[in-house]
Amino acid sequence: MVTFSILLALVAVGWLMVFAVGYDESVRYNSLEFFSTPIGRQTVWVGISFVAFLLIQLIDWRFWQTFAYPIYGLGIMLLVGVLVFGKTINGATSWLSIGGFTLQPSELTKFGTALAIAAFLNNYSTNLKNTNSQLSILGLLLAPILLILLQPDAGSALVFFSFLILLYREGLPGAYYGIGFGVVLFLLLGLLLPLPVIVLGVELVFILILSFYMPQRNISIFSALVYLAIMVSMAVQTQSVYLIIPTTLILIAMIWVLQRKPNFSFGTLMFVIFIAGSGLAFASGYVFNNVLRPHQQDRINVWLRPELSDPRGSLYNVMQSKLAISSGGIQGKGFLNGTMTKLNYVPEQSTDFIFCTVGEEHGFIGSASIILLFSVLLIRLTILAERQKSAFSRQYIYGIAGILFVHFFINIGMTMGLVPIIGIPLPFISRGGSALLGFSVMMAVILKLDSHRYQI
Amino acid sequence: MQVKNEVLSRVYVLLFGVILPMAAVLFYRTVDIAVIQGEKWRERGKDLYIAPRPVEAERGNIMARDGSLLATSIPYFDIYMDPNSTGMSEADFLKNLDTLSHCIATYVDNNFTPGGFREFILQKRVEGARYVPIKRKATYLQKKQIEEFPLFNLGQMRGGFIARKLSERVRPFGLLALRTVGYVRDGRKIGLEGSFDEILGGQPGQQFMLRVDPQQDIWIPTEDLLEIEPESGSDIVTTIDINIQDVTERALMRALNAHGADWGTAIVMEVKTGAIAAIANLRRLDTEGGPGYYEAYNDAIASATEPGSTFKLATMMALMEDGFVQLEDTIPIFKGRTEFYKLPLEDSNPLSFKIDSTSIRNVFAMSSNVGMATLIDRHYGTKTIRNKNKGPEFFIDKLKQFNLHLPSNIEIEGEAPPFIKEANSREDGWSGTTLPWMAMGYELLLTPLQILNFFNAVANDGKMMKPYLVQEIQQLGETQRVFKPTVVKRNIASAQTIDRARELLLEVVENEWGTANKLRTSAYKFAGKTGTSQINYQRTTNKNRVGGYQASFAGYFPADAPKYSCIVVINNPRQRGFYGAEVAGPVFREIADFCMKSRLEFRPLLDTLTIASASVKLPDGVIGEQTDVRKILKQLDVKTYGNPGTEFLVTEVRNDSLLLERRSVPGDVVPSVVGMGLRDALFILENRGLRVEVEGSGKVVLQSVKAGTPVRGQTVRLTLG
Repeated sequence: MVTFSILLALVAVGWLMVFAVGYDESVRYNSLEFFSTPIGRQTVWVGISFVAFLLIQLIDWRFWQTFAYPIYGLGIMLLVGVLVFGKTINGATSWLSIGGFTLQPSELTKFGTALAIAAFLNNYSTNLKNTNSQLSILGLLLAPILLILLQPDAGSALVFFSFLILLYREGLPGAYYGIGFGVVLFLLLGLLLPLPVIVLGVELVFILILSFYMPQRNISIFSALVYLAIMVSMAVQTQSVYLIIPTTLILIAMIWVLQRKPNFSFGTLMFVIFIAGSGLAFASGYVFNNVLRPHQQDRINVWLRPELSDPRGSLYNVMQSKLAISSGGIQGKGFLNGTMTKLNYVPEQSTDFIFCTVGEEHGFIGSASIILLFSVLLIRLTILAERQKSAFSRQYIYGIAGILFVHFFINIGMTMGLVPIIGIPLPFISRGGSALLGFSVMMAVILKLDSHRYQI
Repeated sequence: MQVKNEVLSRVYVLLFGVILPMAAVLFYRTVDIAVIQGEKWRERGKDLYIAPRPVEAERGNIMARDGSLLATSIPYFDIYMDPNSTGMSEADFLKNLDTLSHCIATYVDNNFTPGGFREFILQKRVEGARYVPIKRKATYLQKKQIEEFPLFNLGQMRGGFIARKLSERVRPFGLLALRTVGYVRDGRKIGLEGSFDEILGGQPGQQFMLRVDPQQDIWIPTEDLLEIEPESGSDIVTTIDINIQDVTERALMRALNAHGADWGTAIVMEVKTGAIAAIANLRRLDTEGGPGYYEAYNDAIASATEPGSTFKLATMMALMEDGFVQLEDTIPIFKGRTEFYKLPLEDSNPLSFKIDSTSIRNVFAMSSNVGMATLIDRHYGTKTIRNKNKGPEFFIDKLKQFNLHLPSNIEIEGEAPPFIKEANSREDGWSGTTLPWMAMGYELLLTPLQILNFFNAVANDGKMMKPYLVQEIQQLGETQRVFKPTVVKRNIASAQTIDRARELLLEVVENEWGTANKLRTSAYKFAGKTGTSQINYQRTTNKNRVGGYQASFAGYFPADAPKYSCIVVINNPRQRGFYGAEVAGPVFREIADFCMKSRLEFRPLLDTLTIASASVKLPDGVIGEQTDVRKILKQLDVKTYGNPGTEFLVTEVRNDSLLLERRSVPGDVVPSVVGMGLRDALFILENRGLRVEVEGSGKVVLQSVKAGTPVRGQTVRLTLG
């Protein structure tokens, strides 16, 4: 019930915000004209989603586990189909047009993948510590990711990384996460600070030579001190907090590892980390310039190196977005009173940047409420997941919670310049029928599974 | 147990290590942006500040009685480029710059070569300029064209295209009634523009605008859904007859030039209504282009002067109204010389020097100062039973009965009030000589309009009308308000007095002793009174120094059934005479001649049309749509030549074939559709967003909105015939 209430609240807020953005005084909202407006279409989608929600409550709860793979398969087929028959909007062939309504198969695929992975994990032969299982899961994930990248829709593809949350809960070794985190970290550090990384590399060599002559623990303390000194001087020099936090975290992690496993060769670990790290850092420039496409480079620049960005080009969206949010102050300008929103100063604001509208019209109170609602929803989903007796249900709920979390964090984060601009919608709130229907179906299945949690 | 613990730790890591911290970061960021740094961001927002700004409404037209435009607003655009526009990306800029430069160098500004313009804009972009002029005073069509150039066609934010809509007040008839039409500038409100400023100005609208340049406070409009459209100002239709005004202005100008006067004014008023048909004011100004006469000051309304002899009408009417004189009475004029309180008084008419006494008719006709002053002094100088023991006050009461102490209350601001001394008032500087000199129009101040209004009342059988300049207020061709003639006083004097006064005024022209006898014409009769008042004089008992003269003539025509009254005042003529009859009289005659002539020669237009169509077989002067006309002529097997490139054409008969000629139909103003068929006229007018009302059948012979008026969705009434 709690979950359902939060859900209803989010959908209601979303509808009102879409209304606020699309509101046009010249339209008579009490006539048939209504259904041709963005607001009207959104209303229809809310209706459709509600019906879908009810239908799912009528379907047998075992259906989803039984038909998990066929649904996944259907999703994959649709992804293939969309590449052939799809409609191209804004340069991405992501939409299937069916009877006047456009559908985004990638939304269905998220749902299907959640089902499929949950079903696969529920398999007795599956063991996440086992390489074969890991590869199978990788396969299940890569198929939709690659197909979506072909559209191309990097944002939606990125969402599939949310299953890492589920996989972590289900026991995928933490080392993968450490490595992944390290890779990303060093790539970014390489973009941000080429010089310190080189310095660190030199430092490592120095320590390695020393290690032949000194007891291991002393080396660790010595290297930690040198490390800290360099970091502090670098931080002072560049006045960047970004440097201190991650590197100090790594340092703490290393010492922790060292304390717990005294036999582990600290020097070796350091060696691997710094060699790989330096390599990545040096490679990051190449990756950035040759793998990413120009608009993606722009977005990374806007995020990490705004001084390199064109304030009238790529930086514009984020600046406008922040301006809109800040212009709301604490209480906001009031419903339908947001001028920047009204005048389309923020791009894509009924879809990806809808959070600005909340910020402008309802101020800090409104924005904070939305964040709070999502946080409560995510905690609630975690609790729901943990109370399931069926492993499938738990895994499925974790999968969905992960998807919601990634959407929530990336979408709101990008409107405030915390993460690069990645065009994915804010669940339940952004305009867009496929996404709303998709999320509604996901939630409906959760509630259905939860209501049968004792029947195992 | 181990497994369970590990799972639990993993759940906690997810919940407290990932989800909640991330949510907390988002939350903190919201607080940061909206509250902590809120001020900073809002401050930055001011650079890109959006605020509701007033949008100036289109100003209404001032029209002559027939719809001719005396003043109208022509919209134009100043076009700028913002090479550092907020939404302009480097890529868009560089991609389109070459084409844009080419377009501008080719179509807009020949001073630039494409390469030169490119360099110029690149430099401006580096300099951080936000406001580079591209073209000033572009018409709407030019603006449309420039808007379509590459880069600009991306719009204001991305393309940096800025068009500021401005309007220019244009007076198509130039000098005509310029001062009366007036202007509103730097807070000064002059003439009709000033008096009707609120009506002409309309209601300003409101629109969200974006400030592109905080230093220069430059705002550009945004696409605004909440825009409040400005309400266009209404048009005012004046009583001015453009033809009479033209003649009046020109006749006055000629007289001023001929006599080298300081200033002159002429007013023509419709007797029955008080409507002002023409009002001209010319003053000599030394400008850069040398001295010349300009409509620089509304002397007709704002200059109260000693009127001189034209005022003798009031004196004589007072005497007659009180029954002191009859027209046939003979009175002494002492060979044109007398004195009051040792102040000598002379007639200026040499005729008087031979005459001891003569009739009232002659005294008035020859404008004898001595005669008038003596009469007044005799009847009002002392308190007698006949003047009810009131003395001079009895005379002043008469002047008040004639409404001479009240302003005319014309719509225009700045009317000088009349000054009539109260009897024996020390405050007003009343002296023993005041009364006799008042008899000849001194020691009092009246504006030309006020005197004319008095003459007009006499012409109008004693009914005094309020002079007015505006007869109607229109909004988009539809009447909003009509100003009817206003009666100020039903009878300023008895019918008998009025009759006799008119007889005397006619005497001035018809009597061979009359001062205006030389102006007499056999074509029609007119009546009036000359005036030659001294200005800048110094009067003492032994010396009478005169600093100049003001010549005037006030009267009406035709004398038997007055249609127009008119006054001409010319101040300080320096050469070729100074008498009212010599200087002002001819101007009056010229105006009267024109008015009488145009009344006589008026003939309906339709007769000539029927004659033309009966005698000519081939359709001459037919205006029609190119393909239509060609199709019909081909059907009829009429030989044609000429290939006009315009949508419409006009035919001209050449022997046995037709020459097809250009007929251009301008886009941004109301075109002339006279001569067209209804179908073409409707097509043209309605395509310009005008509403059309039709009357009659046949071809358009009259259109209610003049060609050349800016299009503003007016209603055009077409008369077909």
